[in-house]
Amino acid sequence: MLSRRPSEKPEAGSQAPAPPSALQIKVPGATPVREFADQSTKISIRDLSFWYGGFQALTGINLEVPAGQITALIGPSGCGKSTLLRVLNRMYDLVGGARAKGAVLIDGEDVLSTRDLLELRRKVGMVFQRPTAFPMSIRDNIAFAPERLGWATTRVQESIERSLRDAALWEEVKDRLDKPAVELSGGQLQRLSIARCLAVEPDVILMDEPCSALDPVATIKIEDLMRRLSGAYTIVIVTHNMQQAARVSDHTAFMLMEPEQRYGELIEFAPTDQLFNTPRDRRTEDYITGRFG
Amino acid sequence: MTRELFEKELSALRETVLEMGSKVESQIADAATAMQKRDGKLADRVRLEDSQLNALFQRIREEALVVIARQQPVARDLRLLMAFVYIAAELERIGDYAVRIARMTVTLVQLPARPLRAEFGLMAHLAIRQVHDILDALIDMNEQVAQQVAGRDDEIDRLYHRLFEDLVHEMALADDSDETLALTTLVLIAHNLERIADRVTNVAEDIVFLETGQVVELG
Repeated sequence: MLSRRPSEKPEAGSQAPAPPSALQIKVPGATPVREFADQSTKISIRDLSFWYGGFQALTGINLEVPAGQITALIGPSGCGKSTLLRVLNRMYDLVGGARAKGAVLIDGEDVLSTRDLLELRRKVGMVFQRPTAFPMSIRDNIAFAPERLGWATTRVQESIERSLRDAALWEEVKDRLDKPAVELSGGQLQRLSIARCLAVEPDVILMDEPCSALDPVATIKIEDLMRRLSGAYTIVIVTHNMQQAARVSDHTAFMLMEPEQRYGELIEFAPTDQLFNTPRDRRTEDYITGRFG
Repeated sequence: MTRELFEKELSALRETVLEMGSKVESQIADAATAMQKRDGKLADRVRLEDSQLNALFQRIREEALVVIARQQPVARDLRLLMAFVYIAAELERIGDYAVRIARMTVTLVQLPARPLRAEFGLMAHLAIRQVHDILDALIDMNEQVAQQVAGRDDEIDRLYHRLFEDLVHEMALADDSDETLALTTLVLIAHNLERIADRVTNVAEDIVFLETGQVVELG
C-alpha cells in the first residue's frame, strides 16, 4: 500500500478539464490511433513541435497520456523520445536555444508557459538513466528537495521513511540512513533516485531509460517498483528495451525520425497489448519485430 | 536481412508443419483406400505410421517453445509461432481420425463383404481435398482462401447426415449381429470423416488468427 498523501488530489476548482468525449488523435501521415474516450488524461500534448536552435527535433506531436498508468515511449535512437520526455517538465530550459511550440497540459495547465518551474518539477519528477547520489548521506539525499521547498521539519522527516518505503528501499537502508549514499549498489541508487522523486509528492514520474545501466536483477526490481507505483502516479518511461516496454507499460507510443526532415514524429499510440500484438502501422510492426532498417 | 537466424527458424518450422500436413493427407488417402478395397494390410500400415505424425507434432511443439524463449517474438511473429502449434495439434487429431478409420476397416474386413455406399468415397475425397487446400492456404498465408475452404464444410456435413440417417434406418432392419456391427462401424467411419473436415475448419480459423490477430468462428 503506497503512502500517498491525500493532499495530492487536485483541490476543488482546480480540476483538469475532462478530455473530449471522443478525442481522435491524428498524426499526419500515420495510421489513426484509437480513441481514449473512457480514460482520464493526465498529460495532454497538443500539436507539439520542438527545436534545438535551428534544428527541429519534434513535429506535430499529439498524445493523451492516461492518468495513473505507465506509458512507454519507444523508437530508434534520434527519434525524439528523450526530447519529448524532457519537454514535460521543461528540462529543455537548461539548453540554450531550445524552444517548444504547441501545448502540454498537465491538469489543465500549459507547462510550456508555466512560470513556477520549481513547482512544475516537484509535480513532474524525473529519474535519469545513470543513478546519481548526492555526495551526502542517504537521509540527506531524500531530505534535500523537501528542505529546499521549505517544508516543515516534521514533514521532511516523514517524507524520508515514506519515500524510501514506497521505493522499496527502506528495509535495505533503514539501519544506515546516515551512511554515504554513494556506498549503495547501482540498483539501490536508482531506487534512491526514485525515492528522492517521491519525497516531494509528485503527480507524474518521468523515467529516461531507468534500467539501462542496471543488471537484470536490479532491472526486475525497478520494473516491479514501477508497477507498484502506477495507479498512484502517472509514469512516462523512455526505453530502448522493447521487452521492458511490453512487460511494464499500459500504453506505448512509437516514434520515428522522419528520414528526410529528420524530426521526430509520433507514428502510433495504443494500449501496449494491442501495439505488441496487432500494431496498426507497418512501421511499428517492423520496429517491434526487429526488422526495422 | 535482419534477424536472419530467426527467419530461418520460422521457415524450418513452417516446413515441418507442411511436412506433417502432407503426411496427414497421405494417411487419409490410404485409410480411405483401405476402406474402399477392404485392404487390411494397408489399414495396418496407416495405424503404424501414425507414430511418425506424433513425432512431427512433438518436434513442432518443442521447437516452437525454444524459438519463443530465445527470440521473444511479438505481433505477427508470435501469432505465426502459435498458429504453427495450433495447426500441428489439429493435424495430429486428423491423423488420429485416419487411424480410427483404419482400425474400423480392419473390423469390416473381418465381416462379410457388403457394398460400400458412394457417399463414403465422396466424403473421403472431399476430406482429402479440404486438407490439401487448407495446406495451400497456409503456404500462401491466405486468410480468404482459408475462409473459403471452411465454407465447404457444409457439403461434408450434408453427406454425413444423409449417411447417418440411412445407416441407422438399415440398422433397424438388420437381421443379425454381424450386419449391425458392420452398419455401426460404417456410421463411425462416416463420423470420423466428418470430424476431419471440422478440424480443417479449425485450421482455417488459425490461419485467420495468424493474419488478423482476431479469433473468429468459421462454419
